Amino acid sequence: MSNNFNLYFDNAATSWPKPEAVYGAAEIQMREASGNPGRSGHTRTLESDRLIYRTRETLGRLFNIPDPSRVVFAYNATDALNIGLKGFLEQGTHVLFTAMEHNSVLRPLQRLRREGLITSTMIPCFSDGYPDLEYLESAYQPNTSLLVVNHGSNVTGSVAPLDKIAESAHNRGVKVLVDAAQTAGVISIDVQKEGIDMLAFTGHKGLLGPTGTGGLYVAPGIDLKPLREGGTGSQSESDTHPQSMPERLEAGTLNSAGLAGLLEGVKFILEQTIENICQVEEELRRYLIDSLLEIKGLKIYNPETEAGRSVAVVSFTVDGADCGEIGYILESTYGVLCRTGLHCAPLAHQAIGTFPEGTVRLSPGFFTNKKDIDFLAKALKEIVQLASG
Amino acid sequence: MASSCYITFPTTFFAIRAESILKKQPYAFKMVPVPRIISSSCGTALRCGCEDLASIKEYLLQHDLELEGFYKLEEEGLKTPIVVPLDLNGGGSG
Repeated sequence: MSNNFNLYFDNAATSWPKPEAVYGAAEIQMREASGNPGRSGHTRTLESDRLIYRTRETLGRLFNIPDPSRVVFAYNATDALNIGLKGFLEQGTHVLFTAMEHNSVLRPLQRLRREGLITSTMIPCFSDGYPDLEYLESAYQPNTSLLVVNHGSNVTGSVAPLDKIAESAHNRGVKVLVDAAQTAGVISIDVQKEGIDMLAFTGHKGLLGPTGTGGLYVAPGIDLKPLREGGTGSQSESDTHPQSMPERLEAGTLNSAGLAGLLEGVKFILEQTIENICQVEEELRRYLIDSLLEIKGLKIYNPETEAGRSVAVVSFTVDGADCGEIGYILESTYGVLCRTGLHCAPLAHQAIGTFPEGTVRLSPGFFTNKKDIDFLAKALKEIVQLASG
Repeated sequence: MASSCYITFPTTFFAIRAESILKKQPYAFKMVPVPRIISSSCGTALRCGCEDLASIKEYLLQHDLELEGFYKLEEEGLKTPIVVPLDLNGGGSG
């Protein structure tokens, strides 16, 4: 994508570009369909209802969720995590979470702790971002009810070993909530095979949809307390919010234009196959890391390139240089877009030793090409020389 | 006087799921706004021939759908139809 636009290395923040069909579907939904889903019963409403159902069903195909009623829509992964955490945790329970968690987990937990509702324990992570599984084994308490795990780190790209973590938790009757903000759409996720009880995902990153979309998978048998209640278009005579899924956890008009785009993003992934996307991104990650390793004075966090253990998120620092300044030069001189700082994950930066300064984060995506990486590496080489000179 | 049968649903999700599941089956049916004379939790109902009603109901229940009510409407032009609520418990055809 090295046309007139800047070189985009910020797919971990939001993916760009989107597949062409994503833009078109969102526009068509607003221009031509646009009935309020679930509300009126006329043909436009029905078309919107069908679109939303298909989006649940298609996400179900991607994550191996047989019952689409267990896919609840949210604004983004943060919203989904709030629905999961605040809907699941009961007074007096204990929660485990890893050091790689984003503020979307840390802040809701902090509120629940401050209000005296829960206690929690952090599972430390190594300097490459992988959680200390031995520590995990010693961290359970009799009242532990939930383990929250960041699937793919937005700082180091490290992918947590979900199968081992879920097995450990389930052996103790503890449920597992997975934050898949960085992994949904770029690595294979099978909620049944991997023992995921709740899966929070966003629509605008790896799933290639618009912002303002995302959702939460809730396994059968888990009845979350709703965070919000209100109009659903059904059971209007009752002053009680419907109990059946997915309406139980959804209130108010859904973002049908956004979901129309998300549906096309997920269809694109299914057509390309998740295995192919994963392979393409892994190759890009490896190529990027190999290019960066040639630059002296630049330190990469989690230079791991073993297949399936990382997503295409690479953090680095330069000796003696401020990461914000590097980001500024990258854009102002070379037109390269990235993200610098703490990436809303302060504990992750503490774990890898980059707190409070942070890192420069580069996140290529499915549409990035190797020429872009060559240009980026050349730019960084010049910047590092400047910094060391 | 023509008659047709209706299935109502507790939520929109179940109405649309019913349509999605039945699309692959050889039933003639249509998703329609719930006739005003029927009270329903969800604004969309499934209209079908009364001869298919029991079989459609069974098929949907086998797929874990929640259904709300079953009705037979005697319709004549624009006159208010006559509604006959059907008790299909036990799989009877009503």
